[in-house]
Amino acid sequence: MELQKFTYDNKLSKLFLYATVTWGAIGLLVGLTAAFELIFPSWNAGLPWLTFSRIRPLHTNAAIFAFVGNAIFLAVYYSTPRLLKTPMYSKLLGNIHFWGWQLIIVAAAITLPLGFTQSKEYAELEWPIDIAVALVWVVFGINLIGTLIKRRIKHIYVAIWFYIATWVTVAVLYITNNMALPVSAMKSYSVYAGVQDALVQWWYGHNAVAFFLTTPFLGLMYYFIPKASNRPVYSYKLSIIHFWALIFLYIWAGPHHLLYSALPDWAQALGVVFSIMLLAPSWGGMINGLLTLRGAWDKVREDPILKMFVVGVTAYGMSTFEGPMLSLKTVNALSHFTDWTIAHVHIGTLGWNGMLTFGMIYWLMPRLFNTKLYSVKMANIHFWLATTGMLFFSIPLYFAGFTQSLMWKEFTDAGALAYPNFLDTVTQILPMYAMRAFGGSLYYIGFILFIVNVWKTAAAGKFVRYEEDSAPSLEKAPSHGHENWHRRLEGMPVKFTVAALIVILIGGMVEIIPMILVKSNVPTISAVQPYTPLELEGRDIYVREGCYLCHSQQIRPFRSEVERYGEYSKAGESVYDHPFQFGSKRTGPDLAREGVKTLPNYKPNSWHYNHMLDPQSLNPESVMPPYPWIIHNDLDVSTLASKIKTMQTLGVPYPEGYADGQAMKDLEKQASEIAQNLKDAGIDVSSKKEIIALIAYMQRLGTDIYKDGNPEQYSSK
Amino acid sequence: MATDENKNSNLHNEDYEYDTLTNDRLIKGHNYDGIRELDNALPPWWVWLFYITIAFAIIYSIRLFVFNADDLVQAKEFNKEMADYHAKHAKSDNADANFTVALLTDDASLAEGEKTWVSICAACHLKDGGGLVGPNMTDDYWIHGNTVDDLYKVVTDGVIEKGMLSYKQQLSDKQRLEVVSYILEKLHGTTPANPKAPQGDKY
Repeated sequence: MELQKFTYDNKLSKLFLYATVTWGAIGLLVGLTAAFELIFPSWNAGLPWLTFSRIRPLHTNAAIFAFVGNAIFLAVYYSTPRLLKTPMYSKLLGNIHFWGWQLIIVAAAITLPLGFTQSKEYAELEWPIDIAVALVWVVFGINLIGTLIKRRIKHIYVAIWFYIATWVTVAVLYITNNMALPVSAMKSYSVYAGVQDALVQWWYGHNAVAFFLTTPFLGLMYYFIPKASNRPVYSYKLSIIHFWALIFLYIWAGPHHLLYSALPDWAQALGVVFSIMLLAPSWGGMINGLLTLRGAWDKVREDPILKMFVVGVTAYGMSTFEGPMLSLKTVNALSHFTDWTIAHVHIGTLGWNGMLTFGMIYWLMPRLFNTKLYSVKMANIHFWLATTGMLFFSIPLYFAGFTQSLMWKEFTDAGALAYPNFLDTVTQILPMYAMRAFGGSLYYIGFILFIVNVWKTAAAGKFVRYEEDSAPSLEKAPSHGHENWHRRLEGMPVKFTVAALIVILIGGMVEIIPMILVKSNVPTISAVQPYTPLELEGRDIYVREGCYLCHSQQIRPFRSEVERYGEYSKAGESVYDHPFQFGSKRTGPDLAREGVKTLPNYKPNSWHYNHMLDPQSLNPESVMPPYPWIIHNDLDVSTLASKIKTMQTLGVPYPEGYADGQAMKDLEKQASEIAQNLKDAGIDVSSKKEIIALIAYMQRLGTDIYKDGNPEQYSSK
Repeated sequence: MATDENKNSNLHNEDYEYDTLTNDRLIKGHNYDGIRELDNALPPWWVWLFYITIAFAIIYSIRLFVFNADDLVQAKEFNKEMADYHAKHAKSDNADANFTVALLTDDASLAEGEKTWVSICAACHLKDGGGLVGPNMTDDYWIHGNTVDDLYKVVTDGVIEKGMLSYKQQLSDKQRLEVVSYILEKLHGTTPANPKAPQGDKY
């Protein structure tokens, strides 16, 4: 058999490796800063761009798309050519992919702290950057599929299946969720509103976890665990079953982020049952990873790389057990909006993504630099710091989650809330926040050792840019006569890609299309009217500052929430909310009915003014950061007309021609009324300041269905 | 790879080799950059786990979509929770028929009053009563009078034009009296950290 010679180019692997380490260091440091800001709210030093609500999206985006993203591309660019016995399809596309992705990350790192955000979690990037992401993703796809077509190995290996599923699904998710109409160069409104926007967002958000943090890492696992342990994969049959089951089922599970919300029961139920059915397919991956190490457990005891793989895959098993449990309504009633969710995702990211990335890079460094790892001992210390850091991070947050949720729900014998003051439930868990920051610090110290080890190994060795290999051409590859249908499909990568696309489209279509087209899913409430121009501007400040990261706007149908916050949220209330602001975490109280004067949470305008300026002057124990710039900044109304017109295009019923003149008059009138009210309370402030708009928005929240004093009329009987 | 040598292959199908460490069957022809695959069957417990979760999904869906089960339909769950509460507390609602507005001085009432103060009033008047958005409650100056009846009226009806809300809906008669008593008995006359300048008339 004639062998063809070819060369692997390791340059992009090296670049992606360095990018992974660099962005990991930054993304984790931002997370650590955010953790400390929750204990010491003044750590933002009065700087807008250093405030918790601005850097929290930076942390999540950097951890997911910069750290994990580059690790994915490292795995793909290193393993795909070797699994297919061909160089990557195009060096040019590879370079565009690498540099394009890094530029996107830099753009994110600049724009997110400046407050340019769509306010949809892990989809915060504004529309010009979204377009760049989509283009780079297409470049990546062409390069991946081009390599598949040029391959010398007839059948594609399971790792490649997962890379393919990742590519097609992320493309579909990202484009669908980021559909928005631009208002200006760096501002847009989601085309979806309210509960429909929420469904699309959490279909995306959950599957960002599935197809960015999970499937590519399963691909990574299927390559690097057998390579590092020199053991065969446990079960080919399991690979087939769990791959297809996983990608088919995962896409349905998003609505479990909206249990007990205004989302209709049928959609919530799909979220529950598909999450439960995900347990076995997820564990299929864990089993295939761990049982591949049978016969190599003696090596696991000594080798830090295999230890990291074992802890990583075990963390995957833990979080994919916990995920379905959190999707049960009874558990979710307790866990949602608390730190339980934060603990859960960090088992996944610190454990599964972090450990697999570290193991992969420790394994690659000696091979890419033709030397030994600088210090195995240091890698072992890193392993222990990362493992204990992860536990110190998560366990206190689990307790914080249970504790706070139980306090929210506790009633006195007389039937009143036991802790009517939300702040009491926050001060109770602050010691656990401190322990979380300690755990995060341990993990970070481990990461510093990792950087040193990578650095020293690179310095000691010499980069191996090209590696020679040889294989017979595809036409001459021996073929077996009796192949089953799946084996045949493995030999047809383009058809495989199409099949994966069809499988992942089903769930999203069944959930999203009826939600948008069937009117009964969002019953109309005639009392609900569009925001006034001033309220709309105030809402955009609320979005810019990232208020949704600590304050939900979704009152769940429990007596404990109705007593605390007022009538539970209805689907018809958020129909003009482009984008929705339900939030996913309550570090502070829910604000859905902040403006209703007859409810316990209502505060006068002067209170909001003082609270934004200096929250601790009103509540000494508050962990809310001060927002003095909202007091001092003039409100920018230059895009008001464009905002109103964009909203009209999206179906918000402002009167025809409203944007040309009348909107601005209404804005000024409402602003001077609020300024006068503040003046009466002894606060002298210009009506042109941002705080006036923000107060207008806050005082509007939740009031529509209270207008005639009978909010219960909108509840189902 | 520890897989090429295989002395027992004559006992089995030509498509297989053996893994020397576990004696499991390796699939011939499955070799990807040196990675081999075993032909192990799906673990039975895993298959059963999958079946059980599918059964759960089917039963759950039938209970919701066909039978509208009380514990799965969100509105029914909520209505039941509220009905249970009202059934349990129906009696106590009319229990204070002989309620009168008169200063309370017992420790238990004042402790209850403090709870209300901290959770609601402190937002504007501060925990130590020094005042910020609302007036200082520790000094001798009062805008709307200084008797129990005066304060009770303010808390009950509010002074809407000045930002003081009505707490008629939120707090029971007893709770309003407790917090008023707390103000007069405990807060008044203390020295807060940052007292707001006097407002109203001296009494």
